[in-house]
Amino acid sequence: MNDMRILERDVDADAIKIAARGVQVYYGDIHAIKDVDVDIQDKTVTAFIGPSGCGKSTFLRCLNRMNDTIDICRVEGDIHIDGEDIYDKRVDPVQLRAKVGMVFQKPNPFPKSIYDNVAYGPKIHGLAKNKVELDDIVERALRRGAIWDEVKDRLQEPGTGLSGGQQQRLCIARAVATEPEVLLMDEPCSALDPIATAQVEELIDELRQNYSVVIVTHSMQQAARVSQKTAFFHLGNLVEYGETGTIFTNPEDPRTESYITGRIG
Amino acid sequence: MTEASMPTTPHAAPRGSLTTVDARTKKRKAAEARFRMYGIAGIATGIFFLLVLLASIVGSGTGAFQQTFINVPVYLDPEKLDKNGERNPSDIAKVSTFGYTPLIQDALLQQVQDNGIETPLEDRGDMKAMISASAAAQVRDTVLANPDLIGETVEFRILASSRVDGYLKDRVKREDVARDKNIDAEHLDLVDALVPLGIVQKTFNMDFITGADASESRAEAAGMGVSMIGSFFMMLVVLVLALPIGVAASIYLEEFAPKNRLTDLIEVNIANLAAVPSIVFGILGLAVFIQFMHLPQSAPLVGGMVLTLMTLPTIIISTRASLKAVPPSIRDAALGVGASKMQSVFHHVLPLAAPGILTGTIIGLAQALGETAPLLLIGMVGFIASNAPDSIASGLLDPNSAMPAQIYEWAKRADPAYYERAWGGIIILLLFLITMNTIAVILRRRFERRW
Repeated sequence: MNDMRILERDVDADAIKIAARGVQVYYGDIHAIKDVDVDIQDKTVTAFIGPSGCGKSTFLRCLNRMNDTIDICRVEGDIHIDGEDIYDKRVDPVQLRAKVGMVFQKPNPFPKSIYDNVAYGPKIHGLAKNKVELDDIVERALRRGAIWDEVKDRLQEPGTGLSGGQQQRLCIARAVATEPEVLLMDEPCSALDPIATAQVEELIDELRQNYSVVIVTHSMQQAARVSQKTAFFHLGNLVEYGETGTIFTNPEDPRTESYITGRIG
Repeated sequence: MTEASMPTTPHAAPRGSLTTVDARTKKRKAAEARFRMYGIAGIATGIFFLLVLLASIVGSGTGAFQQTFINVPVYLDPEKLDKNGERNPSDIAKVSTFGYTPLIQDALLQQVQDNGIETPLEDRGDMKAMISASAAAQVRDTVLANPDLIGETVEFRILASSRVDGYLKDRVKREDVARDKNIDAEHLDLVDALVPLGIVQKTFNMDFITGADASESRAEAAGMGVSMIGSFFMMLVVLVLALPIGVAASIYLEEFAPKNRLTDLIEVNIANLAAVPSIVFGILGLAVFIQFMHLPQSAPLVGGMVLTLMTLPTIIISTRASLKAVPPSIRDAALGVGASKMQSVFHHVLPLAAPGILTGTIIGLAQALGETAPLLLIGMVGFIASNAPDSIASGLLDPNSAMPAQIYEWAKRADPAYYERAWGGIIILLLFLITMNTIAVILRRRFERRW
């Protein structure tokens, strides 16, 4: 993957996977997300960029209702995935999170074996009828996480014993094991070294074949490398959203330009 | 930051050489040295007192684990024990211990005379001071269990009186005997003569560990066994009640309960409850369990419930601390793959917190095991003189005592022989506590994980 190819990159599909309208998020009295409208496309990598505290992670966590776990957090507005309102009273966040997987900033494998890490999601969602099926799911997930070859001989060893990059790919494998349709990634490479980052980025590009990937990143190079669409957040506002090539080469908003050229942030 | 913000003022006068220590540094070093010294002095004082304590416990308590016994062949006279000669158990049972006492005294006197020991004690009654009052009961129990022995001469190992025992343990001195109505100097001479013959013997006393309490005048027969069982039943009740309730309460408060005024208040009160004097819990138990709920007095069930109340804050506090120590990233990871709150707690958080919870529970149990004050208020100082299994037939609801309460009881009694037994009881109690704390440490080491 090369920065020079940004302009040539085009979006493969234009079906809208996630549609957000007028999203407001409050932490107690603090208005963290202000009236955000965004359409996220299927089979696309969408990057959220912006300075620290701009609300990009908060918005990401709205998409699988992880913000529900924070007592003082309040979300308003509509977020639809495949046309269904995920904040509808009838929606169980547990089912939602099986459909919208998440990878976190710090690799956080369970302190269990590599196998159990991946098998946990399928187990609690009842995706496998027997051990053979479960083995199958685990292998498929680890292959998609591009870590199968490294761990296939030591599936019973603890996941916490892997290197940082391997742990993060294990977490990605764990997230895809439940067959999600959307994959949210909250700065997945910020705790990794450049080599591990390159591996994960390559993986993200492969994941685009099957999933709609939303990635929050601090690194503009990374956004440029992996994404087709980019959204720039600033102080809780979605300032600009569009083709990654356009955002990085010809932004409309002066704030976007200031940020990507390093003047604010 | 740019160079513009760098201070432009010239340096102050050059400092002295680095090899000479200036006054300020000297003062700081002195303060540090003083503080270290206070620490070392404090630790040394602590160790000194600990050693004194251990030395006095071991010194005063080991005597309780040894007991003086008299080996005598007793002729079980059918004339006295079974007048009808029918070996009818109900007839034999009619003969009380008073019927057996002369037989034992005769037997001992016979031994003295057979061995040709010179003593002015020529009367059967003179032997009374040598023999424990429980000896007759011991012989009677043997006969009742096996009536065929009547008419035979059976070798018995009977308890010596507590004065004889005390004489062999240097607790009773010859000069004390002059003022003692229970024993005379002649008896001590006789003991001196019987020891080399192996008739009077001081040996390890298993009955102290397994036996029941005895009356005020029979210190030599008293043991910790029954109160140990009482303590065991109480610990069982505490474990069964306090662990699930405490862990469930902590999980609810830590993971599920909303954070508001009410939960804040509960939190503060749990912390305060841990500091409430245990006797207050005793009063609570008396008022609620005995006076209101009419549960039996002196029962390990009630004792266990009171100790549960007392232990709960300890368990809740340590459980919450270990739940808090589980990194939030684990919870996020579980929720992220679609686990419910309950699943994330029970599948991931709880196993990681388990070593801390176990340690807290064991320390709570150890604390409960050594607690005396609340037990006094609910009457857990039952005088149980019959040995197991009779004494604990219905276990949780039978009156019983507990180890610390038993020790307290013995310490109150007048006979110095009981004083020795109180120290001995403390040794047993401490052994239990040390074992429990060691288990806590081992569990923590074994299951502690880094993540």
